[in-house]
Amino acid sequence: MNPTNSSNSLMTVVWILVAFVLLVVGGLIIAEATPLVLPPAASAEAVQVDELFKILMALGGSIWLLVQGAVIYSVIRFRARPGDDSDGAAMHGNNTLEFVWTLIPSITVVILSIISFQVWVNITTAQDNPQVVEARGARFLWSFSYDIPGETQRVNSTVLHTWVGQPVVLHLETADVNHAFWVPSMRIKQDLLAGRRTEARFTPILAGEYPVVCAELCGSGHGDMHASIVVHEDEASFLDWFDDEAYIILNPPDDPVEGGELLMTAGGVAGLYACAGCHTLDALGWDAIVAPNLEGVADRAATRVPGMEVERYLLRSLFFPGEFLVPGYDNLMPQHQYQDPEEANYMPLDEALNIVAYLCTLSASGESACNVDMLPDMMTDMGMG
Amino acid sequence: MATITATPGLGTRSAEGAAIRAADLLRWSLDHKIIGLQYMVSSLFFFIVGGTMAMLIRWELLTPALDLMADGTQYNALMTIHGSVMIFLWIIPMMAGFGNYLVPLMLGAKDMAFPWLNAFAFWLIPPAGVLMIGGWLVGPPEAGWTAYPPLSTLFSPDGQTMWAMSLHLLGVSSILGAINFVVTIRNMRPEGMTLWKMPLFVWAVLATAIIQVLATPFLTGGLTLLILDRTAGTSFFDPGSGGDVLLWQNVFWFYSHPAVYIMILPGFGMVSEVLSVHARKPVFGYRAIGLSSMSIALVGFTVWAHHMFTSLQPALRIPFMITSMIIAVPTGIKIFSWLGTIWGGKIRFTSAMLFALGFITLFVFGGIGGIFLAAVPIDIHLHDTYFVVGHFHFVLFGGSVFLIFSGIYHWFPKVTGRRMNERLGQLHFVTTYIGTFFTFVPQHIAGALGLPRRVAMYDPQFTNINTVISLAAFLLGISSLFFIYNILRSLSHGERVGGNPWRALTLEWATTSPPPPWNFRGDPVPFDDPYGYGSDESVAYLDAVERRFPAPEESDGA
Repeated sequence: MNPTNSSNSLMTVVWILVAFVLLVVGGLIIAEATPLVLPPAASAEAVQVDELFKILMALGGSIWLLVQGAVIYSVIRFRARPGDDSDGAAMHGNNTLEFVWTLIPSITVVILSIISFQVWVNITTAQDNPQVVEARGARFLWSFSYDIPGETQRVNSTVLHTWVGQPVVLHLETADVNHAFWVPSMRIKQDLLAGRRTEARFTPILAGEYPVVCAELCGSGHGDMHASIVVHEDEASFLDWFDDEAYIILNPPDDPVEGGELLMTAGGVAGLYACAGCHTLDALGWDAIVAPNLEGVADRAATRVPGMEVERYLLRSLFFPGEFLVPGYDNLMPQHQYQDPEEANYMPLDEALNIVAYLCTLSASGESACNVDMLPDMMTDMGMG
Repeated sequence: MATITATPGLGTRSAEGAAIRAADLLRWSLDHKIIGLQYMVSSLFFFIVGGTMAMLIRWELLTPALDLMADGTQYNALMTIHGSVMIFLWIIPMMAGFGNYLVPLMLGAKDMAFPWLNAFAFWLIPPAGVLMIGGWLVGPPEAGWTAYPPLSTLFSPDGQTMWAMSLHLLGVSSILGAINFVVTIRNMRPEGMTLWKMPLFVWAVLATAIIQVLATPFLTGGLTLLILDRTAGTSFFDPGSGGDVLLWQNVFWFYSHPAVYIMILPGFGMVSEVLSVHARKPVFGYRAIGLSSMSIALVGFTVWAHHMFTSLQPALRIPFMITSMIIAVPTGIKIFSWLGTIWGGKIRFTSAMLFALGFITLFVFGGIGGIFLAAVPIDIHLHDTYFVVGHFHFVLFGGSVFLIFSGIYHWFPKVTGRRMNERLGQLHFVTTYIGTFFTFVPQHIAGALGLPRRVAMYDPQFTNINTVISLAAFLLGISSLFFIYNILRSLSHGERVGGNPWRALTLEWATTSPPPPWNFRGDPVPFDDPYGYGSDESVAYLDAVERRFPAPEESDGA
């Protein structure tokens, strides 16, 4: 080898090293952007996932810089100069180079697979003493249900409550189509599959309120199907909330109107009704737009079908929602069943009665627009109960 | 030697010495060139249809509330048809069009092996398009292009059945077309052209056709079950009667992941041609590119469940992560080989080359995003978010569509005898590149930050980023108008060219532009190495081709 050649190949090695260092540094700088593109990590799992994300950002950033650099260098260095009609060098390949650029990616993906597997094992390992919450997706509402120790009733809520450091296991079921339970801040997502029960687990590490999002297309209100998780500072703070809720459930009001309101916000024997997933009702804080607004529904119910009483209209709408469709709305409401408690859309008649009693008070005057005492007779002549 | 010669058939054939006329495209024809153009022109039409829908989608998403659409159902229908049209009526048939037009020419053959089958496969597309769009009139499908039951079976209106029938026809079309390619490539190569001397585009079409023959029956089979569930009272996917919703997801993705390669592999073939010709340099690592197409086709069959990481049984997720990671290796080989191809070349910045180079820079971004999605713990967070939307648009728009554009600029002179306007091509490239980057990069970020896909209403914290995305998407819409205008204008005003305006070595250039009815006069002799640029022999060969098929002396009315 003559001196010129060896100094050339030395220069090549130096350039390769310089390029390598630049790419690594560039990748590391890009990886620093990780916190900017992810929501705050609020669970123990999120911290580990983010570490992996950062590794991929560094690696991906280096590869991206390598390819962009090579293209930009080539288009400048190897552009055809004006008037040059000749061809490039007749170079068909280089076995060593091709071997290297097959081997390095192969090793890289093996390493990535191993690291990802480790993270996966860590974040899916069951923790001791989890808080078990039954979560249900129904178009277009999330509901969360808790055992009350020693009681048959349950606490139902549209907000998932837990506390810092408490491992949570969610049993996920759907009332209708597939949904996906996603908490961006916790980095967990699990589909709810019709006919199956699935599971998700996480351990919150930061107190606060975090959005829950439906990530699987479920119909017209999909984009509006969200809830939230409240992570309390400690168990005592959680219990403050829980005990209040349990007290209300265990001591239901006698008045049918108040009872109806409670059923619509805290659910009944079959869990939480999904009314809030589609309807608007300021009084209860509902703002969905898929179905008719319930504001003033008692007044409108009186005029919708000539000759039909308000209470009959509302009752029939609960069990036969397709019967009187409000113009401009599709028939999306689940058809409630009152006979079989195993049915997905079970609504016992006594609960229906209270709900109608409450709906009857949604009038401009605030007074009930119905004669609630008529309801049991009405049910009988509709062939119910 | 062509061992099978095409049967002289009935129907219109391209006329001697004249470009194919628009009226020819409306007739039954057995000429692979006319059929190829029929595919391309109809898919360009659907590109405009699907693109218009994309503009409406981005308009709706300018604000967090529903405003343009009457309700969420309308939005879901729009998004469903947009995706289905772009995949099944734009990219796949467009690639089939390139294959039909180019493969017989590249092989020095007179036509495809089965001209009747070829025509039949094309004519399934118009009724499929009518069914797809017509679904709107009877209650549009609203379950997304993935059509997961029970939303697609128990909830979506009758348009969903028409959607399924449409895809069923397109699936059959795709299978028939693919069988034709396999037989043609296997049997109709000229004497001296071994498998290892085939143009890389032909390699890519062969790999694609093998995938189509093996995978598409799963789509049509799955759709048959879906149609039965919707119309005949069966319950394959209805858990209420013993069915299983995951059955559909498995069958659907067993086709639809390989379909990703159906959409990109022909483009990989095209870019290998374009880079080599316009960099005036042999393809770097020819065998590695050909073999990587085949290994992508093969490994592509083992990765489908990575689309189901949030629904699949947890124990099965890791194996699919490993296969998905593996596919990065052959893809990486291709990218490095393309970089090796331009390295040391004499790069001509034609519009075709700009799109090919732009493709490399964009596709690598899409590929890196793919690694994020393959890693299960990260995919759990990113699954079904705008990160995924950004990712697949990067590889489909920055990938397949950039390559289609590149291919059109490259082969337009062959098809029409005229060049496309380079100035307009540059304008098209710059606007498309900027539009693509600023539409789909922010989508990745929005998704990682918490924006789910397929939503008409979203959290107001994403308003700004959605505005950026929409504005960039509108630029992308405008850029396509430059392209359409360029095509229409160049048809009558483009500079006239001879047989081989780019001085390329593959056989389609060794005939007139446009080629005669049976493609070649006499049996063409391929140059020994389809990418043998930079040698004296290739210069002599190209000079001879230029003398035999010279550019017209004067331009008529250009």
